[in-house]
Amino acid sequence: MVQKFSLDSSKCIYCAGCVSVCPVLALTLNETKILCDEGKCIACGTCEKGCPVAAIKITKP
Amino acid sequence: MVVLGAGPGGSTFGKKAAAAGMKVLVLDKKKEIGTPVRCGEGIAEHSEAELGIKVLPNAIASTIDGARVFAPNGKTIRLKTPSTRGYVLERKLFDKHLAMDAVRAGAHVLPHTLAASLIKKDGKPAGVKAVHMGEEIEFRAPLVVSAEGMEAKIAREAGFDAKATLYDVDTCFEYEMAGVPCEPYIDLYFSTRIANRGYVWIFPKGKDVANVGIGIGGNVNQNPKVQLDLFISEHPELFKRAQPVEYKGGIISVGAPINEFVKDNFMVIGTAAHQVDPIHGGGIGLAIEAGNLAAESAVEAFKKGDYSKKNLLPYEEKWRKQTGPKLAKRLMLRKVLEKLSDDDWNHIVGSINEADLDKVLSGDYKPVVAKVLITRPTLLKVLGVLTGI
Repeated sequence: MVQKFSLDSSKCIYCAGCVSVCPVLALTLNETKILCDEGKCIACGTCEKGCPVAAIKITKP
Repeated sequence: MVVLGAGPGGSTFGKKAAAAGMKVLVLDKKKEIGTPVRCGEGIAEHSEAELGIKVLPNAIASTIDGARVFAPNGKTIRLKTPSTRGYVLERKLFDKHLAMDAVRAGAHVLPHTLAASLIKKDGKPAGVKAVHMGEEIEFRAPLVVSAEGMEAKIAREAGFDAKATLYDVDTCFEYEMAGVPCEPYIDLYFSTRIANRGYVWIFPKGKDVANVGIGIGGNVNQNPKVQLDLFISEHPELFKRAQPVEYKGGIISVGAPINEFVKDNFMVIGTAAHQVDPIHGGGIGLAIEAGNLAAESAVEAFKKGDYSKKNLLPYEEKWRKQTGPKLAKRLMLRKVLEKLSDDDWNHIVGSINEADLDKVLSGDYKPVVAKVLITRPTLLKVLGVLTGI
């Protein structure tokens, strides 16, 4: 199974912008880590578009 | 009750509710309240009197006299009135001070605690499940207050429509930089080429230190960091010697407030309720205001021993009456400004003066629109909505 959400943590500034635009509540910020519930993620790409530092890559299943 | 988030809204609520004798626990997911900063850190001086707060001197990085607007061609309008005086804060200290005040009033505060899910009883909110230092804890409470900021996860789980769409947010990136020559003005640079649907800001934090940031419409195909770096490279007169000392960023609502702030046993305040100024994305003062109003209603509900929606509603009604219309006017202005081309910006900044800018910022659009239209009547189709034509 392909992982839909991937994050370059060397770019991430853990602002949680992705969490706030995720339409299905799949993302959580825990201190400095963004966690994705792959079961909830619908690979819509909203977080990828909204990320201020282009740290997110979404792969369509 | 349990308050989610120890930002300005959550701590203000916690302080006021605890002072009235309520048992309050304020959770924050961060190990250090106030970090990471996701904000330009500006607040108007008159907010202190309006909100009944006193910003402690060590939370003030610098004092501001006014604002300057820069058109794409470099033309400037400067605005300096008593109401444009303000501060650029050290949010890390400011937020901590507010949390300390909540503690002094009797509130419990627990950082490094991630609210994971909502507890329901008979279909109604009854607390949250949280994780703290490796332990899962259930905090049962008859009232849950979301001061969660943009993420608003528990509020959304409780059924509030607090999802942010790309159209109604700005994505932001900001450096705190040393080696920037500063004057006591908040500088705003408008240019669709650099920051489509937004702008670049320079907020001084001292004589040679500033927050240098950019906000861009979330639905626009420009990357904030790339565009800010471009702006910096085009302004060697400001940034020749400048170096970043911190990276900040985030996403902020520039849309309308959410359609309801309260349900049975649940309240949403501040940025979680999208109570944010649609023009500048500022939400500190609005969060404190909402924290105060919401706490007043919560205290009344506490006295009645009933946290059902009807007892919490006075907060929402008061907010929509005293602040809603002002923000709705600002939202209308944002939707107009984002349609302007760089050429329009050059024309407008070149044809209005300081008094006109003051009128626009206080919501008196009509005379200024009329003035601009004299020399550029074609702007009627964009600006007309501001005059009710």
